[in-house]
Amino acid sequence: MPADSRKGGNPVVFIILREMRTPILVLICVYAVAILGMAIIPGRDGQPMSVFHAFYFVMYTATTTGFGEIPEEFSDAQRMWAVFCLFVTVVTWLYSIGAIIRLLQNRFFQLAREEWHFARAVRRLGADYYILCGFGDTGSLLARGLSDAGIPAAVLDKDEDRIRALRLRDYNVPMPGLCCDASVPRFLIDAGVRSPRCRGVIALTHDEEVNLKIAAVSRLLNPNIKIIAMSTSQFHEETLATLGRDTHFVDPFKVFAKGLGAAIVNPHLYILDEWLARARGASLEKRFRLPPPGRWIICGYGRMGREVYRALHNLGVETAVIDPRPPADEVDIYIQGRATAKTLKAAGIRKAVGVVAANDDDGRNLSILINARGLNPGVFMIVRQNRHQNEVAFEAADADIIMQPSLVTARNILFRLTAPLLRPFFSFLVRKHRYDARFMAQLLDRLRRTLGDATPQLLTLHLKKGKTDALIRAWEAGAEIRLGDILRDPRQREDRLAIVPFALRSADDAIMFLPEDDVLLRPGDELLLCGSESALDLLDATLNNEYLLFYVVTGRDLPRGWFMQWLYARLWGRAILGWPRHRAVA
Amino acid sequence: MNLEKVIFGFFIVLALTLNFGFFIGEMDNPQYHNVFELFILVVVNLIATGLKLGDRTQIGAILLSTSLVADLELIAAAIYWTVVVHITETGLTPDVTASIVSLSGGALVANIVSVVMVVAETLMLRR
Repeated sequence: MPADSRKGGNPVVFIILREMRTPILVLICVYAVAILGMAIIPGRDGQPMSVFHAFYFVMYTATTTGFGEIPEEFSDAQRMWAVFCLFVTVVTWLYSIGAIIRLLQNRFFQLAREEWHFARAVRRLGADYYILCGFGDTGSLLARGLSDAGIPAAVLDKDEDRIRALRLRDYNVPMPGLCCDASVPRFLIDAGVRSPRCRGVIALTHDEEVNLKIAAVSRLLNPNIKIIAMSTSQFHEETLATLGRDTHFVDPFKVFAKGLGAAIVNPHLYILDEWLARARGASLEKRFRLPPPGRWIICGYGRMGREVYRALHNLGVETAVIDPRPPADEVDIYIQGRATAKTLKAAGIRKAVGVVAANDDDGRNLSILINARGLNPGVFMIVRQNRHQNEVAFEAADADIIMQPSLVTARNILFRLTAPLLRPFFSFLVRKHRYDARFMAQLLDRLRRTLGDATPQLLTLHLKKGKTDALIRAWEAGAEIRLGDILRDPRQREDRLAIVPFALRSADDAIMFLPEDDVLLRPGDELLLCGSESALDLLDATLNNEYLLFYVVTGRDLPRGWFMQWLYARLWGRAILGWPRHRAVA
Repeated sequence: MNLEKVIFGFFIVLALTLNFGFFIGEMDNPQYHNVFELFILVVVNLIATGLKLGDRTQIGAILLSTSLVADLELIAAAIYWTVVVHITETGLTPDVTASIVSLSGGALVANIVSVVMVVAETLMLRR
């Protein structure tokens, strides 16, 4: 049966036909006997009914319609037979309908039907899509992000409730979901892992073994596919690394700790990241009172606590750890026990500059936050939020930085998928910040001036056919176009669109960060732009409408009609219709 | 200011106003509908169509198609006029006049769509 679905046949129809075989055969036999009897038994005038009349009578009697004795009044023998027909055929009908209902209620039949519907929905997806395995906190945040970016996804999750929740969400793009074990190859094939339109597989289930299996199976089924798997253990990461190119693993705790380290050293980077991810309440206006150098206290030394400790330790920060179990690694100061007022005092809360509440229990983290604030109102609080549903409580708690591993992971993956140049850009910012402390403030200032209050949007723009047709045609006509030209407002070229270019990757893989206006664009370039939604729309219009492009580049209007083009050429010469070549940089 | 916009706008608005002038008046009374006005109207419409040829944008394509619709209806009206006056020699009876004027009414709608689109496109540009 699964083999049928591979060939594109409908296994549901096949199952129904197979299950209905016996009821249909029984029904045919019973009807035949009833009709035959009616056609043999003599009527009042001694003659039996014709076969057609017998057929007619049995048809309406069997369905309990009962038009009466048609065409003539029956003899007693016929009446006897009619009673027999009525009972037998009605019982047969009940049996047949019962068989259908039994089939429809069969769990496995329903599963086959869902699987078939799912595979069909995936085949009908309009655009290139991702396969998302695991629809927990991270998965649903990622699905929301993909939907905002207009990328559909096929979602697989073991939990039926999660799939039901998925169906109730209002996404901008179709997100078909199936309740199944995503590591079973058959379901991955249903989700279209072999399709050329599948861009990648993202394994985000809670079970790392399952993630590893999904990654391995996907790699075997499609050698060229992009794979991103969530993993927190060294062993799994090493195994994943052997799966070949385009296999990536995301460790939520490492990502979290790295982000935390960056936030402590360079809060501007944290502000920028939050703002780009359009986190609630994020704003470029936000000012951090940077914690002064001093002691930090980490409450909870689990997987996350360890990564945070490492990040802080590498920054040369003196750190105290509070945990009921002694840590396996060497730490600066260790206090045994739960994080209570007593242990916090022992760890030196009054002198400490920062506290990290890194337990995997939200209630405990909140109580640490309240305790620490009580003991030292000025302390810088970083708190880990585990469940997305506790958001309101955490927002009310007034922590300096709230970090949700699921959110951090989802964001990290989303940016990898929709804005691959953002990671190199951020590493550039980190490097740059080390030498020039004012650089980040200047960048934020520039973003503030350019975008104002607009919600930022990231756009990865490939300068190639099908995306920027007008630009391609201009190049074919020999035009030289600079970055500053296309960022002019097509409605009034003296104005500039609210867009800040972050990075430019040329076809030979060289990356230029924060490219200047006079950079010459070339076919195959990839741009990472940050701008308001309307500005990016206008940019898209410019790059696909050659008249607008001609206007923003040259400042002249290209006549549209043939007659006017001829007239312009007569009046001012042919040069007025062509792209200027080798212009001086304006 | 842009020379193309001046010429283009001139012909499109001229076509619309002439069309309106021809259309207005009692439907079935030939006294209100001048044959020369119809002639000039057809010519101006054809010129407007000619000016629209060659535009590669979507709006350009729609403008051209509305213009072609107006041409079609006005030419049909003109041919009908010629036939009844010179070939069948029935003259401009009220029902014939009503048909001709209603054809020009259809063309009027197409011309209005044209002008609205040109104005809307121009308004989107702030310059």
